[in-house]
Amino acid sequence: MRESILKTSDLAIGYRSRTRKDLPWKKQLHKGETVVAEDINLELGSGELVCLLGPNGSGKSTLMRTLAGVQRSLGGSVLLKGSDVGRLHPKKTAKLLSLVLTERVMTGNMSVYSLVALGRYPYTGLMGKLSQEDEAIVRLAIETTGTRPFAHRHIGDLSDGERQKVMIARAIAQDTPVILLDEPTAHLDLPNRLEIIRLLKTLAREQQKAVVLSTHELDLALQAADRIWLMNRSGGASSVMLSAIPESLVLEGHLEHAFTRNGFEFDSHSGSFRFRHEGKWNVGLVAAGIMAYWTQRALERIGCRVIKAATDIRYVEVEGVGSDGCWRYYTEPGAEALEFRSLDDLLHVLKSYRVEETLH
Amino acid sequence: MNGSFSVPQSAAYPWPLLMPKAGMIVFLVAVLGVLFVLDILLGSVHIPLPSVVSILLGNGSESVAWEKIVTTIRMPKAITAVVAGAALAVSGLQMQTLFRNPLAGPSVLGISAGASLGVAMVMLASGGAANAIAIRQLGLGGSWLIVIAASLGAMAVLLVVLSVAVRIKDNVVLLIVGIMVGNITVSFISIWQYFSAPEEIQDYLIWTFGSLGGVFGSQLAVLCGVVSVGLLISFATSKPLNVLLLGESYARSLGMGTFSTRVFVILATSLLAGSVTGFCGPIGFIGIAVPHLARSILNTSDHRFLMPTSCLMGAILMLACDIIAQMPGTQTTLPINAVTALIGSPVVIWVIVRQKNLKSSF
Repeated sequence: MRESILKTSDLAIGYRSRTRKDLPWKKQLHKGETVVAEDINLELGSGELVCLLGPNGSGKSTLMRTLAGVQRSLGGSVLLKGSDVGRLHPKKTAKLLSLVLTERVMTGNMSVYSLVALGRYPYTGLMGKLSQEDEAIVRLAIETTGTRPFAHRHIGDLSDGERQKVMIARAIAQDTPVILLDEPTAHLDLPNRLEIIRLLKTLAREQQKAVVLSTHELDLALQAADRIWLMNRSGGASSVMLSAIPESLVLEGHLEHAFTRNGFEFDSHSGSFRFRHEGKWNVGLVAAGIMAYWTQRALERIGCRVIKAATDIRYVEVEGVGSDGCWRYYTEPGAEALEFRSLDDLLHVLKSYRVEETLH
Repeated sequence: MNGSFSVPQSAAYPWPLLMPKAGMIVFLVAVLGVLFVLDILLGSVHIPLPSVVSILLGNGSESVAWEKIVTTIRMPKAITAVVAGAALAVSGLQMQTLFRNPLAGPSVLGISAGASLGVAMVMLASGGAANAIAIRQLGLGGSWLIVIAASLGAMAVLLVVLSVAVRIKDNVVLLIVGIMVGNITVSFISIWQYFSAPEEIQDYLIWTFGSLGGVFGSQLAVLCGVVSVGLLISFATSKPLNVLLLGESYARSLGMGTFSTRVFVILATSLLAGSVTGFCGPIGFIGIAVPHLARSILNTSDHRFLMPTSCLMGAILMLACDIIAQMPGTQTTLPINAVTALIGSPVVIWVIVRQKNLKSSF
């Protein structure tokens, strides 16, 4: 096990309710603490990319804030390079840990360059003048994130993806061994999401940073993360925390357990979610390879229950691949086949057959 | 820069400069100088330019009366305009950033209202018109009384707001609390006015019109001293104000002390706005408008440059308004408070519409 940079032991996170001094009339209503999650034992090593997963309301943001020392823990400790985050001076924390938050920074008149330069705040003097070294670090952060082409532009004029890269550049300029990112891929389209994850991955690999990001992108997390922290409300009032490599989480069924809802299922093979189709109209399918896969999906989508290789009921036979594909539909075994040159036509006819049969 | 990094297209994108052009500052200083001389030159008594320059340079002039007018009336007034303009502009800039609200100004925390309450208490509670006249006849002493009352009033409101600031972490809530405290203060004044004699109210109303002309000698020295301290604190808060633009969470994650920053900013603002309000009356508009002009013209959000620029532009605007308020060539003067809004607002609208970069400053 590598040396850990961030370590929690028996950490409990949540909210303290107000005391009598603050709100006298609320004393009876709220007493004590609201525990979001407890017994959290995590370790984070440098060079690791960790994805924090969990359904909405499981306490991901609370954990992020507690790790960053912005919110006080209810118990246990967070050790950042051996010292307790809660007792560390904010200036010292700022040199060890940087944050990228979900809130949109829309400051007018602020250029990308000066925003990234604000990352040097903990290192500069009273008036915040950048030394040559500071400036070199700022420029390197901008180059690393590929934001140089718009370094002179104003924050307000950037697209969401560009702005997120700039915020990451600012975190890099802060030059901390740990970077926490709260949903950095929210509001972004797929290419931008991939680019952000790739960038964070590179950061962890090449600069040996410990990167933690909370996300809802399950498939991206499974592909990119070195380790997954999974928070899940399992019946009880507070969440349970699991820490494992992505593959074993899938194999041990934890992801399925955490995310499965009515009408959805977690496909352990592909590591992604899919609709659970509850078709009742049985159709046999005789096909192979990619044609079999997509024909099955199409049939399930319109409400059929596909039985593979069955020819003793109504069935579909597929020949050829791609645009040369040919679908034959047998209304019953031995019946004359209806031939279709496209899947669309097949579905169209199947739908009307199904409607007719269910009516009678 | 860094040899190890090779991004092929980089050379096409020159690194932006953090420093705005120095030429703008030089230009503003020149404008300030010209307006300062112009403010002294123009007035109800005509004094030729060579004589004014000669008096300003300390060489005296052929007319003792002229020398007296320039050194004891017009100079203090021009200096007061510069100091008040700079102070109000900087405190407005700080308030707008602290509360991340483009409509914030020095009056927003109820500081002006507190000062007004202090003045109202002195003027209205001193009991009867005779007493009020006595205060006015006291001259210097009476003015001191008003200045001290205004400062105490501003400070009282400030202490209320500060005690709230200690408990409340959210700046928006603090802003609302400040506005509410201001409202309460204003309603106290209304009640007081309602039960006062008309003559007493008149004195108070004249004070609310604002005046740059009542600050002389030792008063001017005190005003300059207090404003200098306030400006010094303000300049020192440039760096935390810059990260505050990213929002409080980011600022805290960058190691900014939220509490100390807030205390210093509020302290500086109340020193600046409180002292100016005490000596010159509640002068509106400058505090809200000048920061917008400075941001718009410099095209930056960096407080290290916005602070001095706001100082210069506040002083310039105040001098310009004072020149207009004197109505050169006539015997009348207009209340400065009316002029700042009357002249300033169209200027600001023009700049905003023309520059178009003011949107979403926060």
